[in-house]
Amino acid sequence: MALLAFTGRAQQTAEEWFEQANAAYNEGYYDSAVVLYEKIIATEMESVPVYYNMGNAYYKMREYPMAIYCYEKALKLDPSNDDVKTNLAIANLAIVDKIEPMPQSFFVRIWRNTRSWLSGDLWAWCSVAAFALLLVAMFLFLRARRIGLRKLGFFSGILFLAVFALSVIFAFQLKSASEVQDQAIIMAPTVTVKSSPNESSVDLFVLHEGSKVALLETSNGWNKVRIANGSIGWLEADKMLPF
Amino acid sequence: MKKILSLLLVIACAVPLALRAQDNPTLTVSSKQQVVVGERFQVVFEANVEGRNFTAPSFEGFTVVGGPFTSSSSSIQMINGSVMRTIRITYTYALQAYQEGTFHIGAATLTVKGDKISSQPFDIKVLPDQGNPYGGTTGNSTGGSSNTSGNWSGGGGTQSQRNNTDPDVSGNDLFLKVFPSKRSAYLGEQVVLTYKLYTRVPVSSLSISKAPAFAGFWTKDVSDNNGGALRQSSEYINGIEYTVAEIQKVVIVPQRVGQCTVDPMSIECVAQVRTNRGSRRSNDPFEAFFNDPFFNPGIMNVQKELSSQSFLLEVKPLPTAGKPDSFAGAVGNYNFTSDIDMTELSTNEAFTLTLTVSGSGNVELLQMPVPVFPPDFEVYDPKITLNTNVTAQGLSGTKKAEYLVIPRRAGNFTIAPVAFSYFDPATGSYNTLNSEAYNLSVKKGLNSDPDGGIYAPNQEGIQYLGSDVRHIMSGDARLKPMNTVFFGSALYYLILLCLLVLFIIMLFVLKKREQMAKDTAANRNRKADKVARGRLKRAAQYLKGRDQDNFYVEMSQALWGYIADKLGIERSKLSMDTVSETMREKQVPDELTQQFVDTLNSCEFARFAPGSAEEKMDDLYQRGIDVISKAEKVL
Repeated sequence: MALLAFTGRAQQTAEEWFEQANAAYNEGYYDSAVVLYEKIIATEMESVPVYYNMGNAYYKMREYPMAIYCYEKALKLDPSNDDVKTNLAIANLAIVDKIEPMPQSFFVRIWRNTRSWLSGDLWAWCSVAAFALLLVAMFLFLRARRIGLRKLGFFSGILFLAVFALSVIFAFQLKSASEVQDQAIIMAPTVTVKSSPNESSVDLFVLHEGSKVALLETSNGWNKVRIANGSIGWLEADKMLPF
Repeated sequence: MKKILSLLLVIACAVPLALRAQDNPTLTVSSKQQVVVGERFQVVFEANVEGRNFTAPSFEGFTVVGGPFTSSSSSIQMINGSVMRTIRITYTYALQAYQEGTFHIGAATLTVKGDKISSQPFDIKVLPDQGNPYGGTTGNSTGGSSNTSGNWSGGGGTQSQRNNTDPDVSGNDLFLKVFPSKRSAYLGEQVVLTYKLYTRVPVSSLSISKAPAFAGFWTKDVSDNNGGALRQSSEYINGIEYTVAEIQKVVIVPQRVGQCTVDPMSIECVAQVRTNRGSRRSNDPFEAFFNDPFFNPGIMNVQKELSSQSFLLEVKPLPTAGKPDSFAGAVGNYNFTSDIDMTELSTNEAFTLTLTVSGSGNVELLQMPVPVFPPDFEVYDPKITLNTNVTAQGLSGTKKAEYLVIPRRAGNFTIAPVAFSYFDPATGSYNTLNSEAYNLSVKKGLNSDPDGGIYAPNQEGIQYLGSDVRHIMSGDARLKPMNTVFFGSALYYLILLCLLVLFIIMLFVLKKREQMAKDTAANRNRKADKVARGRLKRAAQYLKGRDQDNFYVEMSQALWGYIADKLGIERSKLSMDTVSETMREKQVPDELTQQFVDTLNSCEFARFAPGSAEEKMDDLYQRGIDVISKAEKVL
């Protein structure tokens, strides 16, 4: 009970900070807004609005890599948020590298688009709802006197079962994605991607701040990264911020 | 012989006289004590005896541009019988100072009959070169060249004498000077150069042979040509009267920072010189012919080329401190006004916004500020009118930009003020002036369509004026602790489990209730036969007693009750139709159903139509027992 009260109070101050930070942002004091948003994050609390607003403040300060990082964090919490997606696209126009993404197969694209309709939590709630409806349909099928109702119960039951299974899979995927840091934003102004995890290896290509890489594996302070066009190489881990 | 003797006598007399004159041999020097860097001047050593081995001092700190020019003159005077012979020998050097400071000129020596005489050493102070007229000669050197009747025709200046036949037109008689209005200017600040011709001799024709290139400057010739005649005035320099003619006036505007050299200007002219008869000897017979005093007594035309001196102009950069955003390079002193011809108008009616910049400065290069109109306004390219005039300070004028604007939509609009910034070199600071803000009220025009037809608004795509990130989210922060995912949490499973349990419970409860209902139905079914038999027994008693009414009542109740119990139909819903339908549902053979319904029908019929035969009652009784026993087998 005492713990709960404490959390409640902490949350309250965090809410106040959030409002102060928003006020600072509206006044144009972006740096102090960032400090306040960071304070909220430091309390181990997070939300899409906090990351989104912090990204905006960084964008206004022209710190595009940090802005992109914040938007990506927000998008990870809620892949469906249209505002975040729009601002991330705008911030990505401000960075140096323009990487043509590798074309994805039709099914992968459909799958990912569908998954990004809802956030992980909403997919979980969706699965709960689908489960409830599935039970109703089963009930209809089992207990209805009329043959029509039974048929309805049967077919809708199959539909709800599919929805349930799909939303469970989506929720599971988003949950596991949120638990691992498998992507990163380059923070150093220029980095050279190497062919193997040591300084003396061959230079493969150059990346600039703000570019997103996928983390594949880690070895001795180096990360194996893949960029959107599919190129793979090694980068020092301290030149990027994983999320 | 006598002649020879008298000549000897004269010589004999002259020698002692000459000796007398040599009593006090001196070597004097005359020069300017103060000169300016770049100035040319003369140092004249004058001896009153003849001597040998004249050695000049080293003119350290100066350049010897001419000399030594030697000239000598002697005169013999006889006053009251005493004969005076005066000898004057001058050694003239032309020097030019090239660095400032004080320089010592040592003694010059001359050997006179084995003795050395020397001049007085002296100092010359060289002053820095500041603002004094440039060019031509600083030909006011001591003694004046008119006194030096030597063969030196210098005088200075960078002038060159193309026609070397004339010793009389010197740099002091005719020279060109340039007067800059200032020696150092800011980038973009205008400087007025005035070229003046100084002359003491009549000049007949004048043409610019080499105009300066003015590299690094924007230039504009602002000479006032009043009918080709040059403006003349007279000016005294060191007591000598000169006629001064303003040849050209140029405004230059420096376009780059640093030390900029302004090139000299060269002019060609013909000077008319009064010749001294006989003093000149020309080898050219033609020239001698045309310049013969017979044709032009005492006047000779000499073609001369003059050029001004080049000088350095220091161009300072504009200060970066306090430079306003709206600054677009205007330097000078300006006034900025705006005007609008109407503020209340109808759609598709044009109004004019006029921006006017006036003042002194380089109005021609001025960039007019651009007003920002509301997006729905149709703005035409501005009509720019320029009006310049020249003053002693340089260019000034008015630049006007007229914007013709047509509002296409009705509403209230504001035209924001426009800022115009300029740099004032006098104060060394930036000034910003703002135009007025105008509030326009645009009414919907009555005759929106010029053709008078139905006004069809032209549809337009949306104009995007800019792009930015979307604004921050306000309101609830919707904070939650990190790494709390609803999926897979205990709550999630709990909810699923609850749903499942609820489902199972509901199924179970429903089943139970059905069971119970089934149980009551089964009871009734079981007892139906018994009850019916009881009723039939009583009916049989009424049959014996011939009590028609009661018989039918019992009979009807026995049949209805039986079938209701047997089929599980509630009494309230009991009817002929429900009975036949339920029986069909329970797959009772049609003939039995028909039989049962018939029996029921005849029973009801007999009940409400009494007075029928007794055998009918018996028959009905038999049929009742028959259908019930048949039904008992099926149901």
